[in-house]
Amino acid sequence: MDWGVISRNLTFLMGGLGVTFQLAVFALAGGFALGIVLGLCRISSRRWIYYPATVFINTLRSIPLLIVIFWFYFALPIMFKAPLTAFQSAVISFIIFESTYFAEIIRAGIQAVPKGQVSAGYSTGLSYFRTMRHIVVPQALRNMVPALVTQSIVIFQDTSLAYIIGVKEFLRRTSLVDAREIRTVELYVFAALVYFVICFIGSSISRRLERRQLS
Amino acid sequence: MINIKDVSKWYGEFRVLHKITEEIKRNQTVVICGPSGSGKSTLLRCINGLEYFQEGKIIVDGKSVQDPSTDIFELRADIGMVFQHFELYPHMTAMDNISLAPRKVRKKSREDARAIAMKLLERVGIPEQAHKYPGELSGGQKQRVAIARALAMEPKVMLFDEPTSALDPEMIKEVLDVMIDLAKEGMTMIVVTHEMGFAREVADEIIFMDEGRIIERGTDESFFKNPKSERTREFLDKILM
Repeated sequence: MDWGVISRNLTFLMGGLGVTFQLAVFALAGGFALGIVLGLCRISSRRWIYYPATVFINTLRSIPLLIVIFWFYFALPIMFKAPLTAFQSAVISFIIFESTYFAEIIRAGIQAVPKGQVSAGYSTGLSYFRTMRHIVVPQALRNMVPALVTQSIVIFQDTSLAYIIGVKEFLRRTSLVDAREIRTVELYVFAALVYFVICFIGSSISRRLERRQLS
Repeated sequence: MINIKDVSKWYGEFRVLHKITEEIKRNQTVVICGPSGSGKSTLLRCINGLEYFQEGKIIVDGKSVQDPSTDIFELRADIGMVFQHFELYPHMTAMDNISLAPRKVRKKSREDARAIAMKLLERVGIPEQAHKYPGELSGGQKQRVAIARALAMEPKVMLFDEPTSALDPEMIKEVLDVMIDLAKEGMTMIVVTHEMGFAREVADEIIFMDEGRIIERGTDESFFKNPKSERTREFLDKILM
């Protein structure tokens, strides 16, 4: 055992953790934004809005994320005739993939708000948009918070899959150090520990939020 | 004020409203009663466009509810509605529940809207509850806040959809008292209710509905003493005991 391998490469590894966080933040922000749109499409009564969104969501949710990452990495540059960096194509894959999960969380959160609340908003003359903005969404968000936090944790872990297309995030850098120093056990124990600590903090927050909601 | 003409509505194959025709004049209070599933609430929800009907016409204050040229949101602002299950916004205080629509629809300033809300809370007798959330109020208090919320838009008509049926018996009176005052002040009201005491006191007309049709209409005592149809008599016997 040589735990010194970690301190010797700490800057390099932590730089990778920075990339991991960047990936997660982009995936979270973009996925959530796109998820709101998709989620609203899923509760639309208009078929031409509802069906494409539903097909899109169900298709992506039936494909492993790894394939989506691969696909965007190889297909996007060909389709748009524009070279994308590995980081960019990873971000696009994450946003699109995670948006389908966010969409379902948002749909469920909105549908959990009683219909009578919408009637009440409408009956006072509020528009669809204002009823959503002031009455439905605040209540829906409150319903969604625990699921959103959980999904954010999942996203954080999912970012490690960007490894496969060569994005130098935390896990990739761990393997790079390992290739040089051959300290597999120490390095991957450390990597697992880092993921664990961050996710554990996240899930504690989620649990606390859930408890506060119950009270 | 409200003109309902030959309104019919279907849920799929099932006909909920059967050529309903009714006129409600300004300052009148009309009570609608009838067994559950008779279409009373549906009719009420058609008046402010919360439900779609396939045939007929409803004119409120000169505007046709389902006419494409009518801005239904604008029309709804003039029609107050009170629901059986209150439907207060649980994430807002009583004050905010009342002042939301005046601010967003009537474009009142926050201060003006709050002043209106406070005045209405005094009117319904619970100014001290202004900063409480719906979860902290009793059923009767909730419904009074809901009435204040509707009144805050200075509506020309008020619709009440079984406003007391979800309340504990000891709280019914406090809500009815508010409604009676409102009727006596000249508000145009349509009230779906089984509170026949209320109907006796303020109704200009009482309508009995069953299976999507208006079976009987009467003014006050005649309705209770000599109902024309057998169905109305049975129903009145049941609810008056």
